[in-house]
Amino acid sequence: MTELIYLTVLLPLIGFLINGLFGSKIKNEKIIGTIGSGAIGLSFIVVLLILIETLGKPADQRVTIVTLFQWMKVGNLDISIAYQVDQLSILMALIVTGIGFLIHVYSIGYMHGDKGFWRFFAYLNLFIFAMMNLILADNFVLLFLGWEGVGLCSYLLIGFWYDRKFEKSTTASAAKKAFVINRIGDFGFLLGIFLIYMTFGSLNFTEVFTAANHIPVDESVVSFIALFLFIGAIGKSAQIPLFVWLPDAMAGPTPVSALIHAATMVTAGVYMVARCSIFYAMAPTIMMVVAIIGLLTAMFAATIGLVQNDIKKVLAYSTVSQLGYMFLALGVGAFTSGIFHVMTHAFFKALLFLGAGSVIHGMHHEQNIQKYGGLKKYMPVTFITFLIACIAIAGIPPFSGFFSKDEILWYSYAKGNFLFWLIGALTALITAFYMFRLLSLTFFGKERFDKHHVHPHESPKVMTVPLIILAFFSIVAGFIGIPEVFSGEGGNQIKNWLAPVFADAHSKKITYGMPSHFVEILLMVISVAGAAAAIWLARHVYLTKPGLADQIANRMKKGYSVLLNKYYVDEIYNKLIVQPIYKVSDGFLFKFTDVKIIDGTINRTASLIDLFSNNIKRIQTGVAQFYAIIMMIGIVIALFWIIVSLI
Amino acid sequence: MSQPLAYFFDSLYLIKPETSIIGFLVLILLYDLIFKKEKWLPYISLFGLVVTLFLIIEQYGYNKFAFQSSTNFGMMAIDPFGAFFKIIILLSSIIVILFSILSKELDVARDRMGEYYTLIFGMILGMFLMVSASDLILIYIAVELVSLSSFVLAGFLKNDSRSSEASLKYIIFGGVSSGIMLFGISILYGITGTTNLYEMNSLLQNFDSTNILMILTMILIFAGIGYKISAVPFHFWTPDVYEGAPVTITAYLSVASKAAGIVLLIRLIKSTFVSQKDTFGYWEMIPAFDWQGFLIIISILTMTIGNFSALWQSNVKRMLAYSSIAHAGYILAAIAVLSDQGLVGVMVYFIIYLLMNLGAFLIVIVIKNKINSEELEDYDGLGYRMPLVGVAFTIFLISLTGIPPTAGFIGKLYVFIALVDAKMLVLAVIMLLNSVVSLYYYVRILKHLYLNKPKAETTDIELSFSLKLFILVLAVPNIIFGLYFAPILEFVKTSLIILGI
Repeated sequence: MTELIYLTVLLPLIGFLINGLFGSKIKNEKIIGTIGSGAIGLSFIVVLLILIETLGKPADQRVTIVTLFQWMKVGNLDISIAYQVDQLSILMALIVTGIGFLIHVYSIGYMHGDKGFWRFFAYLNLFIFAMMNLILADNFVLLFLGWEGVGLCSYLLIGFWYDRKFEKSTTASAAKKAFVINRIGDFGFLLGIFLIYMTFGSLNFTEVFTAANHIPVDESVVSFIALFLFIGAIGKSAQIPLFVWLPDAMAGPTPVSALIHAATMVTAGVYMVARCSIFYAMAPTIMMVVAIIGLLTAMFAATIGLVQNDIKKVLAYSTVSQLGYMFLALGVGAFTSGIFHVMTHAFFKALLFLGAGSVIHGMHHEQNIQKYGGLKKYMPVTFITFLIACIAIAGIPPFSGFFSKDEILWYSYAKGNFLFWLIGALTALITAFYMFRLLSLTFFGKERFDKHHVHPHESPKVMTVPLIILAFFSIVAGFIGIPEVFSGEGGNQIKNWLAPVFADAHSKKITYGMPSHFVEILLMVISVAGAAAAIWLARHVYLTKPGLADQIANRMKKGYSVLLNKYYVDEIYNKLIVQPIYKVSDGFLFKFTDVKIIDGTINRTASLIDLFSNNIKRIQTGVAQFYAIIMMIGIVIALFWIIVSLI
Repeated sequence: MSQPLAYFFDSLYLIKPETSIIGFLVLILLYDLIFKKEKWLPYISLFGLVVTLFLIIEQYGYNKFAFQSSTNFGMMAIDPFGAFFKIIILLSSIIVILFSILSKELDVARDRMGEYYTLIFGMILGMFLMVSASDLILIYIAVELVSLSSFVLAGFLKNDSRSSEASLKYIIFGGVSSGIMLFGISILYGITGTTNLYEMNSLLQNFDSTNILMILTMILIFAGIGYKISAVPFHFWTPDVYEGAPVTITAYLSVASKAAGIVLLIRLIKSTFVSQKDTFGYWEMIPAFDWQGFLIIISILTMTIGNFSALWQSNVKRMLAYSSIAHAGYILAAIAVLSDQGLVGVMVYFIIYLLMNLGAFLIVIVIKNKINSEELEDYDGLGYRMPLVGVAFTIFLISLTGIPPTAGFIGKLYVFIALVDAKMLVLAVIMLLNSVVSLYYYVRILKHLYLNKPKAETTDIELSFSLKLFILVLAVPNIIFGLYFAPILEFVKTSLIILGI
């Protein structure tokens, strides 16, 4: 069964080829949608079967390498198209194909009537193909190919409605921004890969990680490797300072935001760092960097999320913030918790985005929450599922978000320090607040939309059924990770499942004694109570006393406008980096270096070659005798030259 | 049975492929004489080639001499290396025969096609012998057999004055070169007293310095080989003959006969001048002649002059002729490494060169069939009138330039690897620069196909299904082997067994 893993890569590729090559001829949305979703659904079934088979094996035999073919062998470099099926990749594959399938189905309804319907499904399938390569790869090169592949699909899908306006410019420029900023991260990632090859002489996961585990390597080298890889992760997973592309990525269709910019692609950075956990365990300084960047990002993005009015923007900042949590977990050495949060977050964040999509769909593409209100009675299913997702992300037990987030907070205290916990818990409160602000403004209160033109309606079944399924998992997904304080020693299922993957990393990292269970429960109670209070506050401010929000905003005008303008990060980048680069490249690189030096050299060389080749051409006179003479002269010169060189 | 007789029968068994070629040659000749039905000739030929291919694959693993003399060395070396190139020659022959069925250019001579196929089989026999020969006499006979057949084929369109002129020039030039080569061979025999390459090798083992006579003979013999592979300065016939000969024959000369010449050169160097091989596969040479220096110079000259002359050609066939000279230069560079890795480069390059060069010629034939021209300016806007042809031509030309993800890149890559590993960086850089120059004239064709507007009002040109399929069969591997080249490499590495050291 495990050998069939290639199907999960092949099927999306076939779907892409069919829809991409013949989609414009098929035209029938049902057929295109069925091919697109079917390919992913079948892949999901394959992964599920592999999971069942793997569960039947003893824990130390759960890693299988499936080699399809050797791709290139040059000197020591040996790269195969091979897939590593282990606990981590199976979990990621389940998330990608499972949630991917639901979002594909949802898209059949959401994209109905779009002129690029076939193109959309082709891109989505291509994305799943690349993403599967990324998570299943058994070497860094294939991982990088998948990494670039998902980046490409992200670019294509952000700019999917290339003829529409987005904010001050077009969707195309949002796509370009995502692409360029990711390139910065990729540069770091590539450096990391080069350094790994230089240090370990291989790019194969098993070989590199075994070598890292057993051969003594200079800590500074490992630190650089870890840092470079982390720079790659920062770009892909939208962390400080490279997070600015993700909010703009909302220019794409909403299912894309759900699939790529919330549930799967942006967690690729988390996956990659977790995969390379051994390097981080050997580089404590870099782990601290990871934790701090994650924590800052979580806090920073959450505060921006407080005041945004675009429903998708709020969710985008929330995603950035939640990704920050995941890195916080990785940074304190709680790799399992990070991956666990990837999973629960995938459910509730995909649900939030799809719910938002359902609202946008019902509200004729209005995205401003100030123009919603009272939608509860118009779209009951969307409301209930959205509510579930909000509770989950706010961290109220026993919903899934509680388990994963609380585990992260607990480890950030136990393995990190009190400050980590404090900021993390504060961020959790802010999260609960802005999520219920969003919920209140959208579904409760006065109807603030223009009733003559907008007639809110519930979305079709093809869209609501995926919502219901995701809502179900947003509730129950946490039960595979019940903390050991409640479930007893060895009662945390996901921890047991992932333990072998991170065993080496854990043995490398120095762990201090764990604080008592009392502290754990105390902290848990504090954060849950805080979240509940934040929810109450949000409802108070936005429902019970409407107008209070404006008063507060007026009183703290400066702070409010800083948040509303997202700390002016885009503007600062523009002033400090983009403009100077423009100036230098226009004034010096273009007008001088390019035009004068490069063009000049090339033009001169070209005319020289022209002259040379024109003369050579003339030797070819067409007279056979002349040819024979030249041949004889050639022989004589050769002889002469060799004999002279002997003397 | 007496010992020599047993050897003889053994040898007959070893040359089954050659025997099969002779058999089908006779069959085609008789069929043509008796039935006079042109229609079935190509299919009989194809059948013969497939049978021969099967025979070669059957004896693929053999590594011994045929026609052994008393000294344990033989006239022919039957080894996987030879089999590899025989397969290349056969594949290109199959493709060229398919070309011949398609080509409208040959329509004027349809009543003489019996001769045409007979001569092609004659050429194949000659090339097979060139690939296997390990005796100077046999080498000379093989070269002459190939030459004589190709002279006639080049001038096959008797009524076309260009074709006749090509043939005549080819004969004159061929005569001069083979005369020079024969002169070299006779001196070599005078020095060593033997015509067998392996025997010569054991005689030369205790040579410890260069010898002026040896240099003279090698340069003279190289003149003959250089003429076959169109190395500078023995290349002058190439553009004129390639332009004048029927396109099918041009394509054939540019791949098959070049392959045979290259193998002959490799075998001459490897069997005669190598004293031993080190662990990395580098050959230690008998210092009788500085092959490396000589080949480097020739290869630089060949690629540079080939590329630079191609820059301003306005006839696509002639441009491809120069381009094939340049490619011979790249291959010579790989040989100049004088190591097994260099040979890997040569062999990988040849498989890919077969695909891309024949592909490019196929497109030239297709376009000539449709618009009856090979002039570049008549190609204007053709990319839109024949979309598949345009795309396929793009693939072939990009591949010829050596840009990823096409197979051509892989071919060049392995030559580069060999050069860089052997620290021959100057040659590698010159080759790189040459590739840049070649980009110009390859892309110029694309410019005509897509960017230039056609002069007159035009309509779309339809192609038959079988033709489309044929184009795809050559174009698709150019992409696939660019991404997934492990099987080529595997095949090359198992074939890298040359009889001897």
